[in-house]
Amino acid sequence: MNSVVSVSDFYFKYLRSELVLKNINLEIEKGSFTVIIGPSGAGKTTLCKAMTGIVPYYSGGDYAGDVKVLGETTKGKKVSDLAMKVGLMLEDYESQLVSLTAGEEVAFSLLNHGFPPEEAEERTRLALEDVGLPGRESYQLDELSGGQRQRLALASLLAVHPEIIVLDEPVSAMDPDGGESLYKLLDKIHKEHGTTFIVVEHRVEFVLPYLTNLVAIKNGEVAVQGKCEEVVSRIYEDAELRPLLPELWQVKCSLEKKTGRTFKLWRSADEAAKELQSEGFGKGVRA
Amino acid sequence: MSENNNSGAVSEVKQEPVPALTHVEANQEGYRWVAITAMLFAIGIILHTVSPNVGGVTPNWTIAMYAIVINLTRPPLKRAIGIGFVAGLTLIPSSKSAFPLGNIASELSGATCCCLLVKAFVACHMGDWRLTPFITGFVSTFVSGSVFTFILRTVLGLPLKVWIFAMLPVVAVVGVINGLITFGLFRPVKKLFYAQEGGEEE
Repeated sequence: MNSVVSVSDFYFKYLRSELVLKNINLEIEKGSFTVIIGPSGAGKTTLCKAMTGIVPYYSGGDYAGDVKVLGETTKGKKVSDLAMKVGLMLEDYESQLVSLTAGEEVAFSLLNHGFPPEEAEERTRLALEDVGLPGRESYQLDELSGGQRQRLALASLLAVHPEIIVLDEPVSAMDPDGGESLYKLLDKIHKEHGTTFIVVEHRVEFVLPYLTNLVAIKNGEVAVQGKCEEVVSRIYEDAELRPLLPELWQVKCSLEKKTGRTFKLWRSADEAAKELQSEGFGKGVRA
Repeated sequence: MSENNNSGAVSEVKQEPVPALTHVEANQEGYRWVAITAMLFAIGIILHTVSPNVGGVTPNWTIAMYAIVINLTRPPLKRAIGIGFVAGLTLIPSSKSAFPLGNIASELSGATCCCLLVKAFVACHMGDWRLTPFITGFVSTFVSGSVFTFILRTVLGLPLKVWIFAMLPVVAVVGVINGLITFGLFRPVKKLFYAQEGGEEE
């Protein structure tokens, strides 16, 4: 398998805490749309930070094992250098915005990495177009709505053309429409640029149509990882992880268990209704 | 996904022995101290400007702030000298004394002294002692104030006795006030700036 992130035998604890990550062995497939799920406090955010070098080299702490990004270990690498390969958008994305205008914000990392101003300008324009904010270079940050500022943070990541983008609960503060809209945008970027996405998400239903791989974390350990089709029923078996699955997949697994049949991995309620009707599960089944 | 033992299966929770962990100090690429220093200096300048003079005694917030910075970031001596120089510069515009430039020499002395004292405490494994901020705040202020008043006394041609018996006691009182400010603010500031390093976000 062609993996872009490889975590091997990784343990980590913060300076004044117990072990947060234990014996993590994880491979993220190139071009995948991987979603990381797990109960609160399971270590999802820390794992994201480990993939970007923030943990342990910026935050400090105690660790064992190794994290490789695009085949290179993160040991001894500056976070700013790794950011050219793997972009991270935190749950509190506002804390990542440092400039006065949208254009300056997107160009910030480019100029800091020595890109010529002309190229930075062109990349800024394209990145803003990609996230649906064309021509907003001169907008003050406070002229943008919360959703637009989040898209701006995403544009700042896209501008450096990272091969991997890590997002920590990007829709946690969004209404359902905003959440759907953001994931549609991520899917577009995923398909157009072939970027590998790693997303920590509590509300998997938003990302249902797009995700290709799932990683479930429990008590700081990887409990399950693999392609969705292979792992959903395994996650369903685990009482603690089951509620983290979208309801549609919980229904699928429950039906499979009761009937002994196997259903496709439904990506939408329509798809589920269609298959159930075709399988003769009553004509009253509607999306 | 890889063919490892948890691929596609809920792994059994096994208590594997934890290997020897490597300790890594927080490496924030050397710029965090700048932000901390700038922010505390800004707060210090505002408080220095608005603090009333009570009985000839005013706390020197700038010294308290760089004492907190030095206690927090434990900078090398050169950096501490730089912090002292900048602190002196910030005090010049608002100085009401007869010789404002004396602030540069006094704050250089204060910051240097604070840095050496913090290093001495750390060397004696007393870096995290609760009273270290008070002592360093007091001594830095006393040294800085002594140097400043000595320069003032020299510029104004005052007798040595005036410096020793009139000026130094006032400096000592300001030193105690500054020590208390440093002591009182150190822990909240530390909590504020280093909150993310304790793993609280998980």
